[in-house]
Amino acid sequence: MPVEGAPRDHFLVLGAGGLGAPALLGLLTAGARRLTIVDRDIVETSNLQRQVLFDVGDVGSAKATAAAAQLRRRTRDLEIDARVLDLDADNLGELLDEHRAEGVVLECSDSPPLKFMVNDACMARDLPAVIAGAQRWRGQALAVSRGVGACYRCIFEAPPPPGLAEPCSAVGVMGTAVGFFGHLMALHAWRLAQGDDHEVAGSLLAVDLMSLQIHTLRPCPRPACPACAGAGIDPDLDLKQACAALSR
Amino acid sequence: MKHGHPSPSTETLAALRRSTTTPATMPTVRIPTPLRKFTQGNEEVSISGANVGELLTNLEAAHPGIRERICDDKGKVRRFVNIFVGDEDIRFLKNLETEVTDNDEISIIPAIAGG
Repeated sequence: MPVEGAPRDHFLVLGAGGLGAPALLGLLTAGARRLTIVDRDIVETSNLQRQVLFDVGDVGSAKATAAAAQLRRRTRDLEIDARVLDLDADNLGELLDEHRAEGVVLECSDSPPLKFMVNDACMARDLPAVIAGAQRWRGQALAVSRGVGACYRCIFEAPPPPGLAEPCSAVGVMGTAVGFFGHLMALHAWRLAQGDDHEVAGSLLAVDLMSLQIHTLRPCPRPACPACAGAGIDPDLDLKQACAALSR
Repeated sequence: MKHGHPSPSTETLAALRRSTTTPATMPTVRIPTPLRKFTQGNEEVSISGANVGELLTNLEAAHPGIRERICDDKGKVRRFVNIFVGDEDIRFLKNLETEVTDNDEISIIPAIAGG
């Protein structure tokens, strides 16, 4: 079912890597036609195994523009804004302000601080978002909408210190797992676009695809959560760390 | 039956490890992927404990090294880690003093950032 005419119909995909590439394909099949794709990186050969939107001809191209070109080959009537961009608090805020009325954000990076930054910025603007992460066979996804259940910062409060956040390069990423979670993000985003916030937002879905254990948690919003209060991006977030690994 | 093991002996440690094979009598702790290296790859372990704090102490005794990944040096649960007893976040209960029963399932859920 196309999202045309839905309350929100513009999808901002932040990161076109392991999660972002399948999320974009999922959005396309769900009927999305207006997209903004943000990624600062280029396609590398090692990405192709799991970032299935790309092919060998894309190696060396910017991910944002290569993703846009791949999507346009599949559908003619797409409106895509591809941005090769290092996100920071300022340009993220500007981007979200442009789409405050009609946007749904998909946070697809592998950066812990960036997930918090996007959560904070979206909550301050009443922009619904989907935030997910995956490592090895396991991952989690959360749709957030201000005033509807817990947000990402309600649940996790702060990013892990660098020494305790194991990078994907150390623990590995299964292409199947990020594919699953990327499509799940697209489904959540599509539902947020339809205005189904009260049905989808605030439930943390944690899935282990090896054991097929699915855990759905619906925690209470944290009473003192600054993001839910609309405080905006936490100035203590390490933006260099946040933007260092958008989509690898 | 619940047991407290604040300073477990070698025999107690062995008993705790053996106890993982009798899940029907103790709370079950679901171990997230990044911490399974401490549990010999097991995704679930059965550990005794009357409350979450006691359970974490016994978890550390049976699987050394795991507690510091869950709690900070002051003993508080790290901010990016959530512990649920069933579907209830312990922050909204009694934190580490939250009671657990033999049939409870305890989930340790850290933020996962990979993508």
